[in-house]
Amino acid sequence: MSGIPIGPLLALVAMVSLWSGCALRVAPPPGRPAPSLHVSDATLEGDATRRASLRLVLQGLDEDDDGRAAAARSSYERAIQIDATNPYAYLALARHEVDAQRWNRALEALDQAELLFGSDAPAGVEAHISGLRGAARLGKGYGDDAEVLLDRATRIAPEVWSDGHLSADELR
Amino acid sequence: MSALPRKPTRKTAKRRSRGGGGRPRLRWWIKSAALAVGSVGFVAGFVFAGYVVRLDRLVRERFEGQRFRVPSRVYSAPSILYPGLDWKLVDLEGTLLRLGYRKVAATGELEPGRYLWSPSRLRVQLRPFDHPSRPEPARDVVFVLRGSQIDEIRELPAGHELGAVLLEPEPIGAYYGPDREQRELVWVDEVPRHLVDAILAVEDQRFESHHGIDPRRIAGAMLANLRAGRVAQGGSTLTQQLVKNFFLTPERTVRRKVQEGVMALLVEARYDKREILQAYLNEIYFGQRGATAVHGVGEASRLYFGKNAANLSVAESALLAAIIQSPNGKSPYRDPERAVERRNMVLELMHRQGRISEAALQRSRQEPLRLAAVTPDSGDARYFLDLLQRQLASSYSSEVLETEGLRIYSTLDRRAQRIAADALREGIEDLEKLYPRLRTEDPRRSLQGCIVALRPQTGEVIALVGGRDYAVTQFDRCSQARRQTGSVFKPFVYIAALEPRSGVPHATLASFVDDSPLEVRTPSGPWRPVNFDHKFHGRVPLREALERSYNTATARLAQDVGIDRVIDVAKRMGISSDLPPVPSLALGTAIVSPLEVARAYATLASGGVRPEVQAAEDLVNEEGEILQRRRLRFERVLDPGTAFLATSLLQGVADHGTAAGLRAGGLRGPIAAKTGTTTSEYDLWLVGYTPELVAVVWLGFDEPRSLGVPSSRGALPIWRRFVKDLTGGEIRGAFRPPPGVETADIDPRSGALATWGCPERRSEFFLAGTQPTVTCPTGSVVGRRRDPADKESVERGFLEWLRRHL
Repeated sequence: MSGIPIGPLLALVAMVSLWSGCALRVAPPPGRPAPSLHVSDATLEGDATRRASLRLVLQGLDEDDDGRAAAARSSYERAIQIDATNPYAYLALARHEVDAQRWNRALEALDQAELLFGSDAPAGVEAHISGLRGAARLGKGYGDDAEVLLDRATRIAPEVWSDGHLSADELR
Repeated sequence: MSALPRKPTRKTAKRRSRGGGGRPRLRWWIKSAALAVGSVGFVAGFVFAGYVVRLDRLVRERFEGQRFRVPSRVYSAPSILYPGLDWKLVDLEGTLLRLGYRKVAATGELEPGRYLWSPSRLRVQLRPFDHPSRPEPARDVVFVLRGSQIDEIRELPAGHELGAVLLEPEPIGAYYGPDREQRELVWVDEVPRHLVDAILAVEDQRFESHHGIDPRRIAGAMLANLRAGRVAQGGSTLTQQLVKNFFLTPERTVRRKVQEGVMALLVEARYDKREILQAYLNEIYFGQRGATAVHGVGEASRLYFGKNAANLSVAESALLAAIIQSPNGKSPYRDPERAVERRNMVLELMHRQGRISEAALQRSRQEPLRLAAVTPDSGDARYFLDLLQRQLASSYSSEVLETEGLRIYSTLDRRAQRIAADALREGIEDLEKLYPRLRTEDPRRSLQGCIVALRPQTGEVIALVGGRDYAVTQFDRCSQARRQTGSVFKPFVYIAALEPRSGVPHATLASFVDDSPLEVRTPSGPWRPVNFDHKFHGRVPLREALERSYNTATARLAQDVGIDRVIDVAKRMGISSDLPPVPSLALGTAIVSPLEVARAYATLASGGVRPEVQAAEDLVNEEGEILQRRRLRFERVLDPGTAFLATSLLQGVADHGTAAGLRAGGLRGPIAAKTGTTTSEYDLWLVGYTPELVAVVWLGFDEPRSLGVPSSRGALPIWRRFVKDLTGGEIRGAFRPPPGVETADIDPRSGALATWGCPERRSEFFLAGTQPTVTCPTGSVVGRRRDPADKESVERGFLEWLRRHL
């Protein structure tokens, strides 16, 4: 027994523990199903300004759902007016722009949304950003690239993205 | 005997002509005279006919062409009210008053455009507004207030809760032509009948039956004037008044009066009463508002009652009719009691002519005079209006803006604009009190300044004040001036150093830079930058170099990175002015506008996405059709990680660097800022941003001369006052690290990665994979670029630590 080198053994155990500990904090690999993101789940988040902004986003999604596109767009803009850092407003705007086939505008809004969600984005954000980006790129004619993004969205949130489209109601 | 007349002989003929034969001669004269009169009459008739034809052409041109020059009107962004909002901070009551809402004392008095304020409750009957993409209905809304906050909003009568309520956009100005006439067009079918009745009762009671001229009215007026011994009463019909306003000068001559009569007949012959009435309702003069002339009942309704003409009551209509004769002299603001008397006289007249019932008369007589609050002309937004006009110039000429009655919905936040104007004015006055040498007698040569604020994510201009006083000088120092930026330019150097090229940045936030003497050869001789304190500080952390705004360190860093890269970064971020590739550029010798600087810093605030500067949201024509819809434009020009590192550096400047004075004023929350003072203190800058706002303050003289004051005492207090008043001192949000930015503990003295046993440590941000590889305290190297020779020492150190702790 005395021949066993206790130091290296302990070091090995510690390193394995550290590694496994780190591994637990790593985000799930892409492709693993995550709960779908709904804006209504976020309406209690943040301060009063954020909540009011989120309510306007919800209002816009309802208007989009009713086919009142101009009113919806205005609601998203008002949501941004009172809270320009609300990522959901840009996400909803991007969805709206994809529906309107304004691909560049959709991609720009997605950039903003992605940036504002930051590294602590809620589960499900990745699916929507990936799917909307894929839809916009498909619209622009970047087929291969778009398919990869849409596949990724479908893998993460199959219940929403299996048809390759995110409706206002599904985001709501 | 023949009865036939005999042929006269020469003799008899002679005799006839001499005596009783004078008749043929007379006949000849008569004939000649008749011929002459006929010829003159014919010529006169011909001339008169030509004259009438010319007048007729004038009438047709005016009636069938563009009748009115309607200035385009500019509106602010709508105010949005929601639960949790601080109603005191946003000056809710002031906003309602500016919008023409009136406070009432009892629920029974409520109607659209009025509000009732009771303890802890505000009930407002919101007026509808017809924004093309977002029409808002009229609403009866109750705001439940708790302290200074809106606790909840409910819509009556159902009582359901509302998440947010939009107030109509505030008018902030208009683009007038040289005549400076302001009008809001109305259609005769849209105005209430009692308004037309009130006007006809006073101005032309037989309008429906006459043909342009009313002889009975003329006779009556002549009689009245004879009795009075002066011109006490006019005999013009409404058509004549319209003709006079449309085509003629106000002079009182027979010639003009004849012309007026002929044209009135022509107008009546060509157009129906409805068209004439509509033209009159839009043309009639209703007094002055500042330097602009108010024309038409639409504009007058807004001016006097803060409401749409369609919503005028009988009493209000009578008041308008009462002041037509002398709008400025009989202004209800000047003498309200007399105005009520005159109004009641009009009501009596309407009743006598059978235009209103006895009940309506009695009810209207009891109606108190409720005038809209008098609000000052929105002079403080005029620099913004000019910027907006320049932005629109590519699509809409001045002529179009001055005549076609467009509605322009702008991005201006009325409250932010007012606060900015106050902060700039008071800040400059304070500075002049503190340093009397800065004062000048001539206001055109006085110390100037500007302030511009943008919403960084969208580039919307929410406030812009281009100088101390628009009346003195209309030159906008924010968008038209080009000034040296001084140290405000330095962040571009640091961003160029932090931005990875081929995956590797020139520096990280843990790097050190050399602040020792520097000499750079240039075509114009050696350039030797010096620091503000005339000292050199040796090897200093990168953060400190920017926080203390060291010139030599920054100039050296720019040399190491390359001036071209610095220029590339600045251009990408939004600087559009020419940037000469000279070494001194790093210290801000290039001349740029404050608006460009605001845009470039907005790029940082929005995580590397460059916004398009926008002052307009929507443009709508008179028919309510959208001509132009704003587009939110975002373009990524910096990776979010680099933008965040720059923000982190600038947060250091605000927290404990040259802009630390911002905190002294009690501002809490995330701020990133940079001061700038140019050579000889010609220009003072403070550029700062929060997650939701970027604002630039510049101070200086139009003809550059030294202020002798650093920016921390000049521009900084103005920025601080502006943001504090706007936010209440509590800045919301946070600068969040984007994916790809990691933190690591470093030894601040060496910049090495702090490991166990390192005496000092602080957390620092790095782009993933750019953390230091050297460790403290052993001085060994870890990480990707680890030298194999050091591997053993790291492991040895780790095992040693394990033994100690286990």
